[in-house]
Amino acid sequence: MSPAKNVRSLAIVATIAAAAFALAGCASTTTADTASSSSAATQIAVTLNGGSQDTCELSATTAKAGPVTFTVTNKTSTAITEVELLSADRIIGEKENLAPGLSPVKFTVTLGGGNYQVYCPGAVKEMQTLVVSGQEAAAPKGGVTGLLKQGTDGYAKYVSGVLSNMTTAVANLNTAVQSGDVAQAKTEYALARPYYERIESDVDGFALPGFKATDNAGNLDYLIDMRASNLDPVVGWHGFHAIERDLWQGGAITDSTKQLSTELVSNVAKLNTLAAKLTYKPEDLANGAASLLEEVQTEKIKGEEEDFSHLDLIDFAANVEGAQQAFAFLEPGMKKIDPDLTKQVNTQFANVTTLLDKYKDPTAPGGYVTYTAALKATDAATLSQAVQALQDPLSKIAEKVATAQ
Amino acid sequence: MTVDPDSTADAGASDRPGISRRGLFLGTAGGAVAGALLGGGGGYAIGHTVAQDDSDSALEYPFYTGLHQSGIDTPPQRYSMFMSFDMADGTTRSDLQVLLARWSASIAQLMKGLPVGQVQPNRTDAVAGDTGEALDLGPSGLTVTLGLGPGIFDSRFGLSAKRPTHLRDLPTLPSDNLTAATTGGDLGLQACADDPQVAYHAIRDLARMARGTATTHWTVMGFGRASAGPAQKTPRNLMGFKDGTRNISTPEDYAKFVWTDDDQAWMHGGSYQVVRKIQMNIEIWDADGVHDQQSVFGRTKTEGAPLSGHLEHDTPDFAKTKGGVPVISPTAHIALAAHENNGGIKILRRGYNYTDGLDQYAQLDAGLLFVAYMNNPKNFITLQTKLGASDRLNEYISHIGSALFAVPPAPKAGGYIGEKLFS
Repeated sequence: MSPAKNVRSLAIVATIAAAAFALAGCASTTTADTASSSSAATQIAVTLNGGSQDTCELSATTAKAGPVTFTVTNKTSTAITEVELLSADRIIGEKENLAPGLSPVKFTVTLGGGNYQVYCPGAVKEMQTLVVSGQEAAAPKGGVTGLLKQGTDGYAKYVSGVLSNMTTAVANLNTAVQSGDVAQAKTEYALARPYYERIESDVDGFALPGFKATDNAGNLDYLIDMRASNLDPVVGWHGFHAIERDLWQGGAITDSTKQLSTELVSNVAKLNTLAAKLTYKPEDLANGAASLLEEVQTEKIKGEEEDFSHLDLIDFAANVEGAQQAFAFLEPGMKKIDPDLTKQVNTQFANVTTLLDKYKDPTAPGGYVTYTAALKATDAATLSQAVQALQDPLSKIAEKVATAQ
Repeated sequence: MTVDPDSTADAGASDRPGISRRGLFLGTAGGAVAGALLGGGGGYAIGHTVAQDDSDSALEYPFYTGLHQSGIDTPPQRYSMFMSFDMADGTTRSDLQVLLARWSASIAQLMKGLPVGQVQPNRTDAVAGDTGEALDLGPSGLTVTLGLGPGIFDSRFGLSAKRPTHLRDLPTLPSDNLTAATTGGDLGLQACADDPQVAYHAIRDLARMARGTATTHWTVMGFGRASAGPAQKTPRNLMGFKDGTRNISTPEDYAKFVWTDDDQAWMHGGSYQVVRKIQMNIEIWDADGVHDQQSVFGRTKTEGAPLSGHLEHDTPDFAKTKGGVPVISPTAHIALAAHENNGGIKILRRGYNYTDGLDQYAQLDAGLLFVAYMNNPKNFITLQTKLGASDRLNEYISHIGSALFAVPPAPKAGGYIGEKLFS
């Protein structure tokens, strides 16, 4: 839980207008040479140069419909590090990490007739038009849009599955609390925690009807997951962590603990109702995944989330799992948009999960060792660097999937 | 110092090749700034500040010289930030290659005072390519010097045959008190600039670019130069003494002691960089009488003259005695470090004063980020073996961090630092 999150507007889905190939206001140039075309693919050389101005030169600005291979060579440009091929603002091919001295890199795309743009951020002329003659491509929405739509639909089902499991787990916690069984309640607490942490970035912006967005008394995330460090004295402490304090610090279940638990059950039910109305755009999944990793960095690695129980690694693993799920639903589309970045993200997810596996303890409720001060002192830097190495490529996904629609 | 963006832009295109435009700047924009501030009613204090501040935000050094990397024989700038990195587990030769190429191109951008990507990307869902805090601050004399640690030439990247002749971990030296957290590194970056935010921004964005390929290991921010360059007034270390009075300054000495020539062919024109984090016991030093302080260094405090002479640049006379006792003690810092007493060897010192705030005992945690360049690290080893064993200064200092890097020559346009390693 972080304070001052943006409140997410419910059930507002922008309908994306079907992308048209011809860009209004973009005059097509047909004066340059037509690309050389071998039997296989049309070849276009993209050459980057530096000096007083950085330039991005195309060997041709026209081509015939069919496969086109772009060979990108950065001769001396220090300002241009990537080249993208766009169709009505959608990225359909690209190369990143371009720098002088490296070998030329290629990408091939199959293009239908129409106007495309070669985008070289940092060049004196950033956008250049490529005119492809011949039959138009079958459908501009192509495979990517469909794949991303399947992904967001699938993710919505995943979120409702997690919420339903959370309802059950919180009910179990409540049963243990109402019966006054501290040991059982501690176990149930550990088992209930991961659900919220998997989907927190999707559901942390709800204001209850009739409350202002700035009033924490109506902020469901505040009521469910607030930690001691950001308490609002007017509203007081509610939710998971208030119960955690009673169980671990107090070591006893009081009437107030029971009251907190009853309240939690009720608030989770409200959350379920509100979350059922959520719909997702692909960039919501990408931003949500990035935001879960931010939670890992700002709360879990510092051991601030589970201040009394030190169950931070359970939440850590749940945040990572939630992010990985969101990414997995985008992956089929992302593979088409940017296979290199997709691979990079997968590699870094694998690094983080391998690292987390070291802390698994099947005998502990929740499945992970406690995150003690000693463990934090020795391991926090390694954990943080691994998460950061994942967070960086992951944070680049939102713009890719947003432009792909 | 206020930056006039126009002066930066004007200066950018025409005379790139490393010539200070200080005269031009002070004659036009600098004067305008001073005038404007005075006109604002800030009278005495502000006018005074501007007159004293001779740094130049438009000062720019070239990157693609094909000769030596900048930041070695460059007159020391006012601020510095050093960071050491380790290659991440599982990274490959081509990961290293791409990182060195991306870093090189980015350093070239940064040294021109330009961002390394869009600060405010066109697409609203995008993350920024450049973090933005140095936008409009100008090049500010930025140099970034890239070094390769011994680890680069182990079995991981297939580069063991290219290992620079003298690059191996420094041996344990007398009085070493090193901690792993501030020792070693596969890669080192030192950014120096006349604006601390420009130096910080360079390291921050280069570290950001390296994520996934290299992990950060240790860092030191230097807030004041502590070694003189040619034509600079000798600055002082935190002990209040002038540092670097007898530093290397002539082309002959650079050729003889700094630039490599008998090393691996790809290192020709390069150098070796020794980095030491030297903590000072500030409060204890401050309680020491000035007479004793002077005999510890072998120099006077204000003038910086050797105790055998009168002026800073008088050549120390280590044979001079008074009442049968050497005027400069044989265990004084300058006696042990002098080339006369070390078979003629010299190293180029280019260090910075640092502070890490307060230590666990609520004492000032500060010292010297010692950075030195030489064509053979054995010269440092020789000097530090002697200093570590007998220097009277050891009572007040502690070497807590250390690293050694081979610094390849600078690339020409179209190339990158270390490119020849991969051919």
